Amino acid sequence: MVERALLLCLLLIGFWGVVAKKNIIKKIFGLNILNAAAVMLFILEGNRIGSEAPILESGLAQVVDPIPQALMLTAIVIGVCVTALALALAVHLYQITGSFDIETIRERIQDET
Amino acid sequence: MRPEDIVFATVMLPLLGAALAFCAKLLPKGRVASVVEYTGALVGLGLPPLVLILLFPVVFSGQSVSGVVGQWFVGIGITFRFDALAWLVNILGFTIGTAAWVYSLGAGPKGPAFTGVFLIQTAALCATIMTTDLFNLFVCLEIMGITSYVLIPTSRKAGATLASFSYLMVSASAMVFFLLGTYGFYRLTGALSYEGISNGLQAISSSDTVLSIVSLALLVSAIAIRVAVMPLYGWLPDAHALAPHAVSAVLSGVLIKTPLFALSRILFLFPAGMQVGELMGIAGGVTAVLGVVIALSQEDAKRLLAYHSISQIGYVVAAWGMAISIGVDSPAGTSLMVAAFLHAFYHALFKGLLFLSIGTTVDVAKERNVYILRDSIGKLRAAGERIPVTFMCFVIGALAISATPPLNGFVSKTAITYAMKGSLHYYLLSAAAVGTVASFIKLSRIYWPTGKRGRLHPELGVLPGSSANPQTKAYGLVARLTAQSVLAVLCIAGGLAAPHILTIIGTLMSRGGTNIAVPPILYSTDNLLKTGVTTLGGILLFFVATSKIGSRVLHTIRTRPRSFQGLFVSFSLGTAVLAAFLVVGKI
Repeated sequence: MVERALLLCLLLIGFWGVVAKKNIIKKIFGLNILNAAAVMLFILEGNRIGSEAPILESGLAQVVDPIPQALMLTAIVIGVCVTALALALAVHLYQITGSFDIETIRERIQDET
Repeated sequence: MRPEDIVFATVMLPLLGAALAFCAKLLPKGRVASVVEYTGALVGLGLPPLVLILLFPVVFSGQSVSGVVGQWFVGIGITFRFDALAWLVNILGFTIGTAAWVYSLGAGPKGPAFTGVFLIQTAALCATIMTTDLFNLFVCLEIMGITSYVLIPTSRKAGATLASFSYLMVSASAMVFFLLGTYGFYRLTGALSYEGISNGLQAISSSDTVLSIVSLALLVSAIAIRVAVMPLYGWLPDAHALAPHAVSAVLSGVLIKTPLFALSRILFLFPAGMQVGELMGIAGGVTAVLGVVIALSQEDAKRLLAYHSISQIGYVVAAWGMAISIGVDSPAGTSLMVAAFLHAFYHALFKGLLFLSIGTTVDVAKERNVYILRDSIGKLRAAGERIPVTFMCFVIGALAISATPPLNGFVSKTAITYAMKGSLHYYLLSAAAVGTVASFIKLSRIYWPTGKRGRLHPELGVLPGSSANPQTKAYGLVARLTAQSVLAVLCIAGGLAAPHILTIIGTLMSRGGTNIAVPPILYSTDNLLKTGVTTLGGILLFFVATSKIGSRVLHTIRTRPRSFQGLFVSFSLGTAVLAAFLVVGKI
């Protein structure tokens, strides 16, 4: 139970980072924390029926559920893509406006147009 | 040839085309690279429609192709289902996709990288509508999302990058919650395919019902963000207004509708699906009205169109939600579903047309403000367009969206309101129709001649490829005008051939004709009278909106505060309301 409570905390910290932080790089950090919380929740779920790595060798009985692990491998890859893209957009925004602060960026872009 | 063998071609061919386009990017710029890129586009956008023609007899007879990807065991592999719904959404995607890509040859963004990403997006659309696996749906939605985050800033406008960033943050966070919803269902049922989950849910204890409801609410709100239904619309206006014109056409024509129809697959099967449909139907009706009110207040021509996309998707969601809430297997439900799809398809045609023709106009005039820009016909002529094709295209699009007979918008809006007569939605949508007419009168002012007192614009843009600009190659203008004209012709044809199209879609949606949808009577006195009243109401509303008080109200709406945090607040509230609604309905 305590693991789930900790993961909920992690999830909320990530969400808070995305919503409340003004710095867009910190927002991207928040997104990654949010993602990590979901990934760990799945891994924890797979752990319910066993604890051995799901590599089939003789003498292994109590393997974890491999499906959540397979899913999360994909989710992590997608998370990396999204992070890379978000960072590229952040760099572009910095080049245009000279700031990482979301409010400042919005103001400067509105002034331009 | 067995249908099982070719059904994946709709996904694989665009991917193959994308691979070719990226190969073209590696080659040095020149004739060879262009040939490889255009071959890629032909493979990705031209061949799949042929496959769809081959598959038509299968889906028309009410059959569907379903199975497990890669012949894996059921329960482990990814299940898919290619049926009438998938076929129809594919047709929608490839029609608009091809027109937009051709337009991009003239208007940009050009280049193999754009073509490659564009084709990946098309492949993701086809995969999204075919999949019946929750995690695969997550992957498809993410690919669709990532390609849009890439395509939106290709217009090289500073605002577009910010819009793309905001969309990315809100959508990627929502997808984490989608993942949590998937987790909930996997924990409860141990399955990921829709069918497996739905079978598993029948056996769960009542204490687990709340978990299943919360999971469903998380899935639905993550998808509702993509559909941009109120109150989750905040990311859309900037993204659609500032993206390149061709991308705007695809975003609001195809990309906001595919997730909606993919969601219907889930809602058909899951226990609380009907209630979700009910709530989303109401949200759709409200979206239609609010969207058009905000649209009427806009001064940027493309942003006005973007808010209209929200309003029109409200029509689709209203009909779609009502269809699900009364059950799609009943004749009334089927009629509503047919109307919802028809409007989604026709909206894609006329909104694509409007985005492209307004795009050409604002490119030439170098001015997007509806209150300043005037005499665009003269400007287009000065820029080298001898016959006012762009103006005619705009008129057809504007009349279609305002539901003027015999254009396609009249058919689909009549089909929707006919099927929901007497309900709350009916009145909401009728009110939205009045606003639509008014705002398109407002938008059409950019073409009004100004007479002698009009300002001269010596810094006018020149269309690449026109006679006024002999340095550039001629295909630029031809590509733009071809794409616009084809969409305009489809708008007219969709109106004139409406009875046949309604019969075909009706048969497709009723899964082989077991419960044929009742085709609406289109040209009854009632409907024509209603159109007349709506148009008059629209003209009246336009004059009210241009009066002193009206302008002040609209100014207040236009300059209402909008923030990044607002996107997340509305997402959280939307999810909470949906979950509460479902829990209350269960107890």
